[in-house]
Amino acid sequence: MNTRLYTVIYGVLFVFATLQVAVEFAGLDYWTAFGVIMALSAVKALLVAAYFQHLRYEPRAITYVVTIGLVAALALTLAAAYSITGT
Amino acid sequence: MSDDTTPRETDGGHATADLPATGDHVHESSHEHGLPPMESIRRWFVTTNHKDVGILYVVTALFFLVFGGVLALLIRVQLLEPGGTILTDAAYNQAVSSHGLLMVFWFLSPFAFGFANYVVPLQIGAKDLAFPRLNALSYWLYLFSGVLFGISFFQGGTFSGGWTMYAPLNVPIYMPNIGATTAILALLMFTASVTVGSVNFLTTIHRMRAPGLTLRRMPLFTWTILLTVWMMLFAFAALLAALIILSSDRILGTVYFAATDAGGSVLWAHLFWFFGHPEVYIVFFPALGAMAEIFQTFTGRRIVGRKWFIAAMVLVALQSFLVWMHHMFLTSINLPVKTLFMATTIGISLPFDLMVFALIYTTIKGRIRFKTPFLFAFGALALFILGGITGVFLGAVVLDFEFRGTYWVVAHFHYVMVGGVTGLVGAIYYWYPKMTGRMYDEFLGKVHFGMYFVGFNLVYFPMFLAWETPRRVFDYPAVFQPWHQLATAGAFLLGASFLVMFYNFYVSLVSGEEAAGDPWRYVTTAEWAVPSPPPLENYPGRPSYDGGSLQFLEDMGPRPSGIAAADGSGETRSDGGVAAVDGALTGESHEESHASIWPFGISVAGFLVLLGLSGLPSGATLYVTLTVAGFGLGLYTLVGMARESQTFHGPSGPFGESWPFARVENTKLGMWFFLASDVVLFGAFIGAYVFIRVAFGWSAWEIVPHDPIPGLMNTYILLTSSFAVVLAMVAAQKGSRNGLVVSLLVTLLLGVGFLGNKGIEWYELYHEGQWLSTSVETSTYFLTTGLHAAHVIVGLVIVCYMLVRAWGGAYLDDDRPVEYFGLYWHFVDIVWLFLFPLFYIL
Amino acid sequence: MNGDVIQLVVQVDDLIPRGTRMNVFESIYWVFIALGTLVGIIVIGYMTYSAYRYRSTGDHAADGDDDRPYLGELPTGGGKGRKLFLSFALSAVVVISLIVWTYGTLLYVESPVSAQEADEELEIQVVGQQFAWEFIYPNGESSFELHVPADQRVRLVVTSDDVFHNFGIPALRAKTDAIPGQTTETWFIAEQPGEYQAHCYELCGAGHSGMNAKVVVMEPSAYEEWYASMGENASGNGSGDASGENATATPTAGNGTNASGTASTNASENTS
Repeated sequence: MNTRLYTVIYGVLFVFATLQVAVEFAGLDYWTAFGVIMALSAVKALLVAAYFQHLRYEPRAITYVVTIGLVAALALTLAAAYSITGT
Repeated sequence: MSDDTTPRETDGGHATADLPATGDHVHESSHEHGLPPMESIRRWFVTTNHKDVGILYVVTALFFLVFGGVLALLIRVQLLEPGGTILTDAAYNQAVSSHGLLMVFWFLSPFAFGFANYVVPLQIGAKDLAFPRLNALSYWLYLFSGVLFGISFFQGGTFSGGWTMYAPLNVPIYMPNIGATTAILALLMFTASVTVGSVNFLTTIHRMRAPGLTLRRMPLFTWTILLTVWMMLFAFAALLAALIILSSDRILGTVYFAATDAGGSVLWAHLFWFFGHPEVYIVFFPALGAMAEIFQTFTGRRIVGRKWFIAAMVLVALQSFLVWMHHMFLTSINLPVKTLFMATTIGISLPFDLMVFALIYTTIKGRIRFKTPFLFAFGALALFILGGITGVFLGAVVLDFEFRGTYWVVAHFHYVMVGGVTGLVGAIYYWYPKMTGRMYDEFLGKVHFGMYFVGFNLVYFPMFLAWETPRRVFDYPAVFQPWHQLATAGAFLLGASFLVMFYNFYVSLVSGEEAAGDPWRYVTTAEWAVPSPPPLENYPGRPSYDGGSLQFLEDMGPRPSGIAAADGSGETRSDGGVAAVDGALTGESHEESHASIWPFGISVAGFLVLLGLSGLPSGATLYVTLTVAGFGLGLYTLVGMARESQTFHGPSGPFGESWPFARVENTKLGMWFFLASDVVLFGAFIGAYVFIRVAFGWSAWEIVPHDPIPGLMNTYILLTSSFAVVLAMVAAQKGSRNGLVVSLLVTLLLGVGFLGNKGIEWYELYHEGQWLSTSVETSTYFLTTGLHAAHVIVGLVIVCYMLVRAWGGAYLDDDRPVEYFGLYWHFVDIVWLFLFPLFYIL
Repeated sequence: MNGDVIQLVVQVDDLIPRGTRMNVFESIYWVFIALGTLVGIIVIGYMTYSAYRYRSTGDHAADGDDDRPYLGELPTGGGKGRKLFLSFALSAVVVISLIVWTYGTLLYVESPVSAQEADEELEIQVVGQQFAWEFIYPNGESSFELHVPADQRVRLVVTSDDVFHNFGIPALRAKTDAIPGQTTETWFIAEQPGEYQAHCYELCGAGHSGMNAKVVVMEPSAYEEWYASMGENASGNGSGDASGENATATPTAGNGTNASGTASTNASENTS
């Protein structure tokens, strides 16, 4: 884990954040832009978790613990939003 | 029974009698590391020892049982005749609500966790929980949350919207009394206690098992606690989200739940039941575990299908998060969702069939002794079967449509939950000799059971017969009056049965027969291999199962001694085990600490803050003062506890079995468990936002900030601060004090910059008339990003503390605190990575 | 009398109870009660019997002390578990078939008639408010009593003006949540003319225990007459005695149904 790797990742994160706003101004169709922007956020989050929080180098079990939490939250979000009858 | 005396004669009980309880104290006090003796009041304020904390939990929980029980009796008296007049309408609603809240939150789980505290470390071969001070903190937060709840009665009445707290009755326009806010804040404090406790137990059970005690080999009670805390970690995070939002609606004036056009009241139901259904298993599992232990001991049989029993429980724990909408079948949810949740609901009922049959078949070919613990466990099983059968009725959605809001539901969940209580009452008789060193009176125990069982069925069974009575209503058709009168009579019998128990325990504590290490026979788990009560550091040596059964290894050497070293017969096994006690107690000179006042102090501070917050909207000086004083005390005590960390030593490794976290140090693992619960907290906040926005019409929603650029700036700032924390860790690893200090300083400045930038943005919005209560858009925006900002502020407080210590040269030989802080800070960064697009761009 | 209507809509499966809500509920409920009682007696009887049969006699020699659990052993399971799986499978079959059976009824209850027949229904809007029920008829008139004709399908579209309520007529087996800002639906067919009671089934504030409404099932001709006379009543209340019956409700409803209005009434009740 050297400083250079951290610096490169920091650079990538910085660029991705800029890209997200650029996508917003690029005039894409809303849901396409939505997909791209959320995907960029997900990639950024993965980079931070994998390297800054060095989950890559920890036992996989820790990743699973956090993933379970994430899956639970997603289940709540998606099922609740889906359950709404047409307004 | 002839059995009553046999264990003492045959299983080596006399050996433990060599170490009577009083002898232990004298012996211990010489090396209790600042922990005052049992008789001292001070001990109970500072103790961090798991056994002491366990006793505190049990006693406090029993107090809340009485509190909630008295309320139940008030309810039953009101129901003696239709439209009773003992209580006013409003008072009746308060009694109903606080009875539910107290029993579910302040009695059931804490009662179970009293035993978990006492027994789990003993069963897995740990000297204490992973974080003893956090354990004490859990307890004190629990106690003070209960005190806060009690105070709420005197602030214009407590919460009166039922324990399910449905929206929008729970918001100030419909329930304006301060006491209602206090009750919610009390629950919030309780949630904090539970979160701290689950992190602690998860770390302990996963990391600190004796060698050879793999997860598959773990005693069933410990298994149930493990699964309980796993559920707690995530379920209570969702409740925390719901309670923070509700508190904000009540104190700050956000309009989440008042925004009924955007589904606010259904949102509450989702958040609450996403927590609420796992909660059912959270309160029931420990009882199930205790029942399994008691069944095995008193039948003299190992449980049938143990592997499947465990698998069934794991399945239930996972699935418990996928059934919540069966509490909402009559809301506006659509048919496909109803079908899905009907299917998952049946799915979750089946594993319980297997567990029930496993317990029943365990009795076959047993040598069953009908002692009090077994009577209660056996009774609990019968009650649970009735609760289960009547639950299948509710699983049939067509029937559920009619049972909704009636006494069928009331009767059903009391059979299940108070069925669980029955198991736990069995547990208190089972472990009473272990915890006190005295035997209870068997005859009085049986009297208690008789009264309890008859009383129980007399209260709750008539409720099935009068099921058409609407729930939480004191006016009912006159034809049901006899059933309700019977139920009231049963309630008093049930209540009176506990007086017998209290009397029994009180008398036995003073003059009961002294209990052997193993007073029962056919026990298997490690808590019985040590004297009753166990010495402060639990074991006469390092417990290990490597040899195939429990041994106590001498601390310095691998030479096996103790139980398994003796010859094969059951009698001498424990005899030998206890013999090792004598040698080891003197040999033990670990530096584990057992006393800290800070958990108590922090909880007092939290109590003051929340009490202050409850009345803050009124602007009264008293409340403002309380809040400010609470924050001050909080900062002082937190710093005090942090400073104490350098001298306070919890259990240290190496531990035996730590799957699957063998390579992760305790504190790091604890941090990750905490972060996982924080994932659910923020997840629920984002989920609430998405739900409201979908209900509102996704595209019709107006994004609050006009311009994503300030948000982008803050993204840059936060990313850079994350990078600075990484550099701080690298500097600490390299031993560079200057590098460390500079990096932390940069982090601090960036964090302040982030808050400043956000402050400017909020200030401008405020002056445009966009504030918390303006609309549901602004409410979600301000509260979600506000919660994130609060995380940033907490991080910055920690950075300040670390900066001071780093200046003094700390962390250079041990960079772990910097690393662990980094985990938190990066998490806060990650959250922002999602909040930014969701609230600024899309 | 609905049999022929239903036959057109749903494939007839004689096993699935249909008809009025009462028919549906009764037939399922009693099957569940019978089976539940049977299973309960068998299981609890069996466990009590085996606990008694294997009670400790105190004569250990006679029991044989083979392979009892001992202190400090690593936990293992006892028994082979074949019986366990048999019982489990049996119980699973019973439970699953019961639920699948009722699922057919759920589908029927959720949408009892096709779209074109929906015209024949009487649709009444129900609005819950602290602490009364207001019924709004197709002609725009409202009442605090629910009057319906016998033998006709009545569809209730339920909502709330303030907090979460639940509207239920136990005798007619109709029940649904009344959620502010949302509508839910339920339906019923009343066969017997007469008076029934509707209650609130969700705790909604201080007056929850008394939040009832009278439900009057009338002969169709009498209903027509009543319905025609609704507009003539200046107060908007259908029949004269309604205001007497709902003494607590009428004032609240009288001054409009906005949430803050009712809330302030409630507020004063709560703080007192």
